[in-house]
Amino acid sequence: MKKGVFVIKYRWWIIITTVLLVVASIIPLLQIRINPDLESYMPDSMPSKQNNRIISDVFGNDEMILIVLETRDVLDNKTLTRVRQISEDFSQMPGFGRVYSISQAKNIRSENGSMVVDPALGQLPQNDSEREALRTAIRANDMAYQVVVSDDFRYALIMLSSNKTIPDDQLMEIVNATLAKFPGEEKVYVTGAPYLRDESNQKIGHDIMVLLPIGLLVMFIFLFVTFREIRSVLLPFSAVLFSIVICLALIPVFGWELSLIGVLIPIMMIAIANNYGVYFIARYQDLNAAEPDLSVNALVKKTTNYLIKPVALCGLTTIVGVLGLVAHLLIPARQMGVVTALGIAFALLISLLFIPAVMSLLKKGNARKALLNGTNGFFTAMVMRAAHWVTKKPGLVIIVFILFLGLSSAGLFFLKIAPDSNKVLPEKHAFNKAINITDSHFGGSKVIYAMFDGDVTDPVLLHSLDRYEQELKMLPNVGTVTSLATIVKKISKALNDSTESGYNAIPPSQQAIAQYLELYSMSGDPADLEQYVSFDYTQTLMTIQYQADNLAQVRQIPDMLHRLSQKDSLTPVIGGPSLTDKDISESVEHGQYYSLLAAFVAILILLSLIFKSIHAGMLGSLPLVFAVLCTFGLMGWLGIELNIVTALLSSISIGLGVDFTIHVLWRIKWELASGNDYAGSITSTLRTIGRGIIINACSVMLGFAVLFLSAFPLIRSFAFLIIISLVLCLVSGLLLVPALCYLFKPKFLNKPNKISMYETT
Amino acid sequence: MKLLKIKLSMLTACLMLLSVSLPVSAQTAAQISKKSADAADIGPMEMDLTVFIRDNKGNERVRQITMSSGKFGDVSKTLILFTAPADVKGTSLLIYDHKDKDDDMWIFMPALKKVRRIISSEKGKSFMGSEFTNADMSKPNQADFNYTLLGTVEYNGNPCWKIETTGINKDIQKAIGYSKTISFIDQSNYLCHKVEYYDFSGILHRVQHISDYKEQTGKTYFAHRMIMENVQNKRVSEMLVDRLQMGTDLSENAFSPTALQ
Repeated sequence: MKKGVFVIKYRWWIIITTVLLVVASIIPLLQIRINPDLESYMPDSMPSKQNNRIISDVFGNDEMILIVLETRDVLDNKTLTRVRQISEDFSQMPGFGRVYSISQAKNIRSENGSMVVDPALGQLPQNDSEREALRTAIRANDMAYQVVVSDDFRYALIMLSSNKTIPDDQLMEIVNATLAKFPGEEKVYVTGAPYLRDESNQKIGHDIMVLLPIGLLVMFIFLFVTFREIRSVLLPFSAVLFSIVICLALIPVFGWELSLIGVLIPIMMIAIANNYGVYFIARYQDLNAAEPDLSVNALVKKTTNYLIKPVALCGLTTIVGVLGLVAHLLIPARQMGVVTALGIAFALLISLLFIPAVMSLLKKGNARKALLNGTNGFFTAMVMRAAHWVTKKPGLVIIVFILFLGLSSAGLFFLKIAPDSNKVLPEKHAFNKAINITDSHFGGSKVIYAMFDGDVTDPVLLHSLDRYEQELKMLPNVGTVTSLATIVKKISKALNDSTESGYNAIPPSQQAIAQYLELYSMSGDPADLEQYVSFDYTQTLMTIQYQADNLAQVRQIPDMLHRLSQKDSLTPVIGGPSLTDKDISESVEHGQYYSLLAAFVAILILLSLIFKSIHAGMLGSLPLVFAVLCTFGLMGWLGIELNIVTALLSSISIGLGVDFTIHVLWRIKWELASGNDYAGSITSTLRTIGRGIIINACSVMLGFAVLFLSAFPLIRSFAFLIIISLVLCLVSGLLLVPALCYLFKPKFLNKPNKISMYETT
Repeated sequence: MKLLKIKLSMLTACLMLLSVSLPVSAQTAAQISKKSADAADIGPMEMDLTVFIRDNKGNERVRQITMSSGKFGDVSKTLILFTAPADVKGTSLLIYDHKDKDDDMWIFMPALKKVRRIISSEKGKSFMGSEFTNADMSKPNQADFNYTLLGTVEYNGNPCWKIETTGINKDIQKAIGYSKTISFIDQSNYLCHKVEYYDFSGILHRVQHISDYKEQTGKTYFAHRMIMENVQNKRVSEMLVDRLQMGTDLSENAFSPTALQ
């Protein structure tokens, strides 16, 4: 049975089923939940996740929130009072396990034969000389200097540890309310994982609420300008709307959550889902203009029969490209691959079944000038110019492409992988300002933990920890390293005079260390010691604070720990938030390769099958290789990092870009089969289908352009890069592929093919 | 390092109460509490204690100590000697609790083989790293608190008064480490069976169960078992009195820094 007949015969079934499916999808859609937690994007098998779990089982899984106050001199009484008020208010609140600032810091030292324990900040200084005395005391106090007061005394730090019992939004409300309760002239910046999640959560919601309507409006206007007929707008528009509903509803149906990456899903559907409907409307209008006597049903049948193969093939290649994301290491990328592939498949079905079914029930409409096969205008002039270059100077075209590829891909040497998730928020955001201050004036914003097993009162273990500490501190980016050895040496400095052998040293006996620890455990909150030592004294934790601008600087810490552990029998468990960031970055890098490879292989196979030739697969893949290499090269030149969002680029652009090549190759083959020579075939191809491809590419790019309005810089970068990538696919599809065909005249183009993409009507 | 402001003679206001019978109707919450506080002042004593400190995973640390105290002039002097475990055995602390100035404290560590004076204006929170705090171990100053009789309640079959004790200001609350307590005091013998401690947000933080009261001389009682449960972090500390001796055999010289070694 002809497809067009099927659509007419079962049109009511098709319409009712589609509408019911979409309406039913609204129920799960309302259950959709946002997940801004980047760590959860990683599979549980990731080493850092497993290690973090091991470490948190012993030392808890508190998260840090850092509050930075900036002023001319933090020892000004107003600032000190404000820091004290804020700190004390926080310390009386549930949800904050530990509060540490200049107000809580102690000054433990040896003085005149006594161990002296004082608060680092006692009475507020009453005059300048007292203030300078306090400054001198703080400089000498390693529990305060560059820990809670910056080296230049311009910044004060308040550290809060959150025990994750309060949801992020409520936690940040408490933080903001407390800061507002004690106003002052100091600039205040907040950073930390709960803040990042809360901000991301709000921005994901904002993006969906803002980008989706704007995207739909832009697409509506684009369709209206293109077709100037309300039903011709509403039908492809309904394909977009329906597929977005289905796509987003699948997320909760599969038990998944909307991630930061998920913001792209509805916009991708806006950009992609209307394509197939547009093809239908355009062809319908063409036919109506060419054969005005045909009935509605005849028009629908002819249009469906004409388009079913090219549209299905284009949809299939896009689905295959997007499915390349399933090979990605990031969970939301895999989920995105699945739901967008299903969404595109649904859009394809709507375009091939629902739209023709509805059209068959409507009036025929006025005949309009052909949309895609016009002969005048800017686009036509452009493609004709391209045809001229391809047929007259194909070698030059190829050389220009090779030169551009060489120049662009040289940028690959400068391509950087984001070392952390900080750039999820804008550079000037208070979150990142606080990080920059912590990096430049305190020990650093990044933290790695190393947990060691053993009897913590064993002097051999403590000497090893001390050795690790000294070696790690030699690394240029490491700010502070704190371990049990640090604590024991600190106690030794308070219990011994500087002239004594035990001063600043690890005691030689197990008993002495046990007695030091007993003294320390009696000196305050038990939680102080338990930051470093497990309750049963069988594990100890080292904290390494550092700053890093790239992944290599992050890697040097675990590398150094592994190197050191090879020299002794210790086997540290290495974890911490910075290591999770490193694993995410490496997943982005490796996941990028896997998804890219998967998409390429799938497209290569698909093209080879479609054209029954491996050469066709290779030729068709060339524009994609060109576009991907150039895009990543340009990222290197422009300093755009590979991150969790830009890593999705290649699979999506391959899925979309391959369509252009398929259309071009098939049309050339069709023209050749019609008796044209190569020059004529290429010119005719570009004149006819070339213009349609450009319009189609523009609509896709317009859809993605909406992402420029995203609150996330990562997504704005993605918008820029996907558009660049599509332009490159488009240009290489319209110039490089025809030039190669013209020069090499591949056999598969002349070979008769049983599959006819365009049925002659 | 904090000062262990232990006052053995007043282990806790609720641990021991005189079984003085007064008409219930004549007593206010403040009076009951005042009498409890006065009754806790039992003078010099010596005792052996075992402290069990358990985390939320069932791990346990055990400390055994001998505590002696005496009052010499205006100064209450307390000597704490660790007797177990082996690696801290012999560690001693000497605390002078002055009325009008900061405490004095000395520590002797066998491994260091010397006495070190500790000068601290910091008031520690935890007693020996347990869920008990130094404030729990000290006699409360009646004037620092407001008392409210919340009503009566049955506890383990015994009718009890429920008395709420609140620090009169934020400074007092900060010093003692909690906003208020609710004590369950037996109406028949004034023994305190349970104390609930609330944090600064008014949320229940710790619950102390007091039991194994033993009658002492002069119709006084002393609890030999105290369990402090931190309901927020799920840790539990238990204190068992293994030996209690009213009065001390030690002379004032034994409470001097030089005698620590």
